[in-house]
Amino acid sequence: MTSSQVLSPAGARPVPCGSVSGTMSDDFRRAESGTQLLARLEGRASLKELEPLLFASGDCPLHGDIIEFHGPEGSGKTEMFCHLISRCILPVSEGGLQVEVVYIDTDYHFDMLRLVTILEHRLSRSDEETVKQCLSRFFLVYCSSSIQLLLTLYSLENMFCSRPSLCLLIIDSLSSFYWIDRNNGGETVSRQEANIRKCIELLDKLIKEYKLVLFASTQTLMQKMHNEKSEASNSEKSSVVDFKPYLCKLWQNVTTNRVFFSKELKHESDKATFSVTSCHLKSNNVIRRSFVITEAGAEFIP
Amino acid sequence: MMILREGLCPGLTADIVTVMKKNHVRTVVDLIASDLEMLARKCSLSYKTLVAVRRVLLAQYSAFPSNGADLYEEIKSSTAILPTGNKKLDQLLDSGLYTGEVTEIAGAPGSGKTQLCLSIAVNVATSLQQRVCYIDTTGGLTGSRLLQIIQCKTQKEEEQVASLGRIQVIHVFDAYKLLDVLQDLRHSFSQQLLRSGETLRLVVVDSACAVIYPLLGGKQTEGMSVMMYVARELQTLAHDFSLAVLMTNHITKDGSAGFRPALGRSWSFVPTTRIQIHRDERNKQCGNRLMSLVKSSRQPTNLQVDVKIGCYGMLDEHNGSNTSGP
Repeated sequence: MTSSQVLSPAGARPVPCGSVSGTMSDDFRRAESGTQLLARLEGRASLKELEPLLFASGDCPLHGDIIEFHGPEGSGKTEMFCHLISRCILPVSEGGLQVEVVYIDTDYHFDMLRLVTILEHRLSRSDEETVKQCLSRFFLVYCSSSIQLLLTLYSLENMFCSRPSLCLLIIDSLSSFYWIDRNNGGETVSRQEANIRKCIELLDKLIKEYKLVLFASTQTLMQKMHNEKSEASNSEKSSVVDFKPYLCKLWQNVTTNRVFFSKELKHESDKATFSVTSCHLKSNNVIRRSFVITEAGAEFIP
Repeated sequence: MMILREGLCPGLTADIVTVMKKNHVRTVVDLIASDLEMLARKCSLSYKTLVAVRRVLLAQYSAFPSNGADLYEEIKSSTAILPTGNKKLDQLLDSGLYTGEVTEIAGAPGSGKTQLCLSIAVNVATSLQQRVCYIDTTGGLTGSRLLQIIQCKTQKEEEQVASLGRIQVIHVFDAYKLLDVLQDLRHSFSQQLLRSGETLRLVVVDSACAVIYPLLGGKQTEGMSVMMYVARELQTLAHDFSLAVLMTNHITKDGSAGFRPALGRSWSFVPTTRIQIHRDERNKQCGNRLMSLVKSSRQPTNLQVDVKIGCYGMLDEHNGSNTSGP
């Protein structure tokens, strides 16, 4: 792990900022530079220090992990993303990881000014220049259809390849095209799911190949029927009970962690508290924690 | 579904399209996802041409990542906050409606949703002198009521006429027509047909619920997808052209938690900011309304203010004297 930490800041330099999609997109494999090869093989920094409290097992997230955030609206998913982004893009001297993040916004909800507020609260010297230096490690893409998402993922491959310090990909959210695809897709459910399945196939390949970590949110669009509810309610915790997978089956197979978000209904104190139930799907470890949202972003209650 | 055809991008000739079709490469996605070396061999096409075509198609149809630092600069210059004309409401909204966002007002019939929309529209047209597009789906808007609220803002007749001229009203009675109107709006923006100088800053949809509700229900997916198309159109309009979008929604009874906004879970993810509005039950006579912030990315979500509705709408009462304003 020490080698990867040394490599990533050094590797970041040779790539000019403006080359995001200006460079060739197909011949990259054939003309790979040394830094690019290293980025693809071993060079990414570890994200273990990202937010240990969010995970049920100690070593998370590993390269290639796919973490799902699931919850109803207003349960703090996007706010948690902002927290993770700021952890990533803050410089090492300020306790951050100093790595790059790509954020795909399909809901048109991302609030840049909110991220800036969080950064300003977390920086010891929050002048314009320092904030912008942090923000230069952050990339935002808007997508408005599942086809556009798929094509965008194809074109992002070049960016993953050429930027060794890019470690984290966030998609908020993966389920926002669900109804439009269901109605447009055709006769069978598998044809209706075709676009999103292709997206997930490609995501899985890219994440594994380039050793990235993916966080993607899915919205609670479905409600469990009452009879389904009663069966599960004895054994599991309340927020997990409401979970009904509806995105294509492949998604359930590729996710390594699932984090359920909910807003607690207590109104005693001034601040609303939110809770997460984090499940490590391989080991079946489950952990439950609470966090509050302040001006400085999401903060776990120890 | 983007079908490959001649002229879709430079280099994509009719011959290439035909030969690729024979090899089951019909859409843009097919071409981009396929192994170009194999494809070049199978179709006996030049590998270089295929690579060039793929590159152009990707650039044309994929979304472009923007760097955070550049985006921040852009947002600082493009984001505007439209004051609502009511100090308490502005406090609740962190100084007003933000452009680039969809704000929802949810409330029962008679709770004052339309009055709130009218007041904000008048304030934007009068004090800020910006144009407003008011999409009315219920027939709840009357010119005389608009004039009445404007008259409380300014006494001068020519100012009143100018303000009325800034509010464009469109009546729409079904969801498909609503989609038409929103797409026309997008078109006129991209064609820059709108008068320069006074820019369109606010789009009001009162109410979105009235046209979408009849399409929902049963196990069919069409209603849901029309609803999500409307949502998408509102979100992208707001985002692409720095508009503030204000829409109203009904509320339905929710077993445990009291009331929740109508249109179901899928819609609940659409607005960035949501205000719930209801009559003050303790004091029915005075016509006060309680407004609570239920969703926001900026403010804590338990804020509540009370607002009075009168002949002047919801605008602050003593506004008439200082119309010189901003």
